[in-house]
Amino acid sequence: MSHATTMDRTTGRRAVLKGASGLVGLAALQACAPGGRVAALPGPGVGGRAQARLVPLRITRDQLIDVKCCIRPLRAAGPNLAAETVGDTLVIHNYGHGGSGWSLSWGSAEIAVGKALTTLPAEIAVVGCGIIGLTTAVVAQRAGLKVTIYAREMIQRTRSFRASGSFTPGSRIALAEPAGPQFPAEWEAMARLSWKAFRTCLGLPGKPVDFGDHYALSDKPIEKRHWTPDPAITGNWRTTGLPQQNSEFAHLDERIKDIVPQGVDLGPDENPFALPYAQRTTQMYFNFPSYAKMLMDEFFGHGGRFVMRDFHSPAEFAQLPQKVVIHCTGYAARDLWQDQTIIPVRGQTGWLAPQTEANYAVRYKNVLLLSKADGVAVMNNNPDMGDMLGVGNSMELATIADIEAGLAIIAPALAPRAA
Amino acid sequence: MRSRSLAGACALALAGAVTMAATPPRGFYSASAAEEGARLYAERCAMCHGAALEGTHEVPGLTGKFVANWAGRPLGDLPAYLTRAMPQFAPGSLQPDEAAQLAAFLLRSNGYPAIDTAAAGTGSVPATELLPAPPRAVR
Repeated sequence: MSHATTMDRTTGRRAVLKGASGLVGLAALQACAPGGRVAALPGPGVGGRAQARLVPLRITRDQLIDVKCCIRPLRAAGPNLAAETVGDTLVIHNYGHGGSGWSLSWGSAEIAVGKALTTLPAEIAVVGCGIIGLTTAVVAQRAGLKVTIYAREMIQRTRSFRASGSFTPGSRIALAEPAGPQFPAEWEAMARLSWKAFRTCLGLPGKPVDFGDHYALSDKPIEKRHWTPDPAITGNWRTTGLPQQNSEFAHLDERIKDIVPQGVDLGPDENPFALPYAQRTTQMYFNFPSYAKMLMDEFFGHGGRFVMRDFHSPAEFAQLPQKVVIHCTGYAARDLWQDQTIIPVRGQTGWLAPQTEANYAVRYKNVLLLSKADGVAVMNNNPDMGDMLGVGNSMELATIADIEAGLAIIAPALAPRAA
Repeated sequence: MRSRSLAGACALALAGAVTMAATPPRGFYSASAAEEGARLYAERCAMCHGAALEGTHEVPGLTGKFVANWAGRPLGDLPAYLTRAMPQFAPGSLQPDEAAQLAAFLLRSNGYPAIDTAAAGTGSVPATELLPAPPRAVR
């Protein structure tokens, strides 16, 4: 039995809509939910993957179950992977991954653990238990090391869990000039290794890593955006401590476009939506709960130990019994290590109740909907701001009104297509 | 008879223990500073950490685990941290005296006693002194 058939039988509200029967179904839906704009429906069904019978997304306000806000740790020079000594302890840093922590986690851990291995330790400590810390711990175990994680929280309560969870390895990862000419190649190595590592997680229970189609919709032809320097803006990171425009950021995604699916324009017959222009990309994303369980199970299954503790100064690292420590505290390193080159970049996501039968993402104007196992992420980010959105903002309280506004903005894109 | 004597001895020993425990524990802050800190907390901190210091899934609560995070460290670390890093949306905006008042309020909220000014005058606790566990677990 196909999934779609199951849905038809069991949940009328989420019935797969196709052709004329779909229109009838949608009319019924709207009657059920007055005032709420509801769902997309597919095209006329003449073949092509894009028309693979999209289940409509329900985006009414009553579906909003959570809003999460977090600060990305953008580091002007890119992630800190340097080593230094504190007393008799070797500290290897692995923090400052901007909006790319999840996406670069395996490649970055590979570098940090590689540095630790050069000292031939039998045992190491990892400080921090976000996605970077936990992945680093697992990578160290796979290299045969005994690992203790010291952290305030396990991953489920860290900032990592407040990300959106798409593969975005180039998101606010560095500023081009301070990162230096060698950085793009380093980034590419981390991104390629991570991509392969994520592929080893595909199909595992709970789908910790999955792929879905992403539709960009528009009222006008979709063009790739390029950020050129605005000569009217004279300040920059060097002079102000903050980037002043998008062209200062390192934009590196082109380097891995041979493996990462790129956007494909959809013709009128392939476009499942009512808007005239649509582009489809196939996107990798992470389901946080099952991904965290996968890593935790491996960590504890290999004898890993977790110690809840806070650190207030680098000197405390030297008090640990392990003499090799990998430091993975993300944004917290700004205070803990007094690394003022970490720039806060605020971001937030709303979450609708899970609609796993609708495994796709839709972007229109400011708004992106991304359907995952733990909910439908809603982002309302002004594309004209690009990477500058949230720069310098360390306010970590959510603004629900922005998410509500986003639902209203994207509703027309999900409106039914004329017969 | 014999067992009664033993029981009596035990009772005395217990009484001794109780007497020792009843000795006023060392204070760590001035009551007036904690009072001012409470006012500041409501104004600058409660919006994230909660009116009752309860925190959220994302924002740390400031009781309970707070003790585990700060006990065993120099008393001065807490106001120094507040001065540098809090409030998160405007780090560095607290004056040192405000941070000290907030620290006093946080200690009070976690069961640490105020300095008994009648017994100890207005003396303050050195910033280098290590913060112990509170004299009794929070009920």
